[in-house]
Amino acid sequence: MMELDLFREYGPALLRGLGVTIFCWIVGTACAMALGFLLALVQRGVSARPVQWILRAYVEFIRGTPFLVQLFVLYYGAPMLGLRLDAMPAGLLGLTIYGSPYFAEIFRAGLNAVPLGQIEAARAMGFAPATILRRIMIPVMLVSALPALVNFSIILTKETVILSMITVPEIMFETQTMMAETFAFAESTLVLALFFWVFVETISRIGRRLERRATHYLLDRS
Amino acid sequence: MTLAPSLTGTVNPASARLENVCKFYGEFQALKDISLVIPPGKVTCLIGPSGSGKSTLLRCINFLEEYDRGGIWIDDRLIGYESVGGRRMGGRALREMRRDIGMVFQQFNLWPHMTALQNVAEGLERVKGIPRARAHEIAAEALAKVGLGDKTGNHPSRLSGGQQQRVAIARAVAMQPRIMLFDEPTSALDPELVGEVLGVMKQLAAEGMTMVVVTHEMGFAAHVADRVVFMERGELVAQGSPAEIFQNPGDRRLAAFLQGYLERNSLEL
Repeated sequence: MMELDLFREYGPALLRGLGVTIFCWIVGTACAMALGFLLALVQRGVSARPVQWILRAYVEFIRGTPFLVQLFVLYYGAPMLGLRLDAMPAGLLGLTIYGSPYFAEIFRAGLNAVPLGQIEAARAMGFAPATILRRIMIPVMLVSALPALVNFSIILTKETVILSMITVPEIMFETQTMMAETFAFAESTLVLALFFWVFVETISRIGRRLERRATHYLLDRS
Repeated sequence: MTLAPSLTGTVNPASARLENVCKFYGEFQALKDISLVIPPGKVTCLIGPSGSGKSTLLRCINFLEEYDRGGIWIDDRLIGYESVGGRRMGGRALREMRRDIGMVFQQFNLWPHMTALQNVAEGLERVKGIPRARAHEIAAEALAKVGLGDKTGNHPSRLSGGQQQRVAIARAVAMQPRIMLFDEPTSALDPELVGEVLGVMKQLAAEGMTMVVVTHEMGFAAHVADRVVFMERGELVAQGSPAEIFQNPGDRRLAAFLQGYLERNSLEL
């Protein structure tokens, strides 16, 4: 028997948790994408060996370690090195770092898939490199990269629950509090599952719409 | 297809001069000491078997391909390097030189996310800094002049190969270049679409544009070119007027190449 009364008591906290989760996801994903894009650009544009080597090591290290471990290093380990972060900044930084190599890989593949001829046509006309990137490479790249970008962004929604382990008051954290105080496991986990389902479904709908917009010119053959 | 009287307005054609140009890919030498004068306002056709280096040579003229030795001058300005054998030219200076050099590619290389109009207007806006409204006007005119006035809103995916290549020519010509490079502009086209592209090129030639054309269209080379250059294995083997090259090929390799071309084309009939 579910007790709906519980939600009268814990509702506000859960709602705040939802807000925090969505906030963390948006900021974390945006920053991870930005850093990933930067990494992809450096990987593509700077051929100096040491730079490539450092980049490789960074990508391998981040991809080779669990997110939880990275968060603990940031939150509990970094203060010993003099970097003291609150839970929220540590969590956002963690998401940024954790997501960046995956996004970098998606962007790298996407940029490599832009036909060289289209870039050469712009170069031959005297376009500046930044203009070529902004006006030609990014829009063309997005066509092939969007599905993977949406996919990994969805994966990141679910990684946000791990932020509860460093006391970021997101939905998982609030749900655990509720569980600990009421033992209402069914109600709280149901709310949690429902929320993520709706959240992910919304994102994938937005993603599909973006994909349609980005590829409209490929589909409008009459 | 009827074309407007003038594709270019007024052209101030540039000349080009190549001296001892060499290009290496590792050990392989793709260009061997090529020296050549491209006279202003004339059509120079580069012919030769595939792999002979003619496309590589063409791409050196706007420095899309970096030559390793020698020099290439557009009018009297060296492209790609600050001096012969010297340091690489800065990006800004190279971009400025490239504004004068139009290029048309075998695969058209239109930008797929832009309409025909946007493809032509993009360079006007982003390179020449022309305001959008004016750039679109110029682009619409340029497309009308290549017979595509009714296709301005189409994306490349909704244009035939011949139409795409005409958009590509309009895109290059709208920038008001002083010399135009064509890299096998009809090789990717279905045979029935070749004529419309060659038609635009003929008009451009008649208007006094300096043109360098890598082509397998011997008919075009014979009838439109002022100079024909034959290359093989990275060497410039023969050059002359179309009459000299096609009617009286002194060189043994040139004669063999032309003979092969004639045989292939008579077999097709």
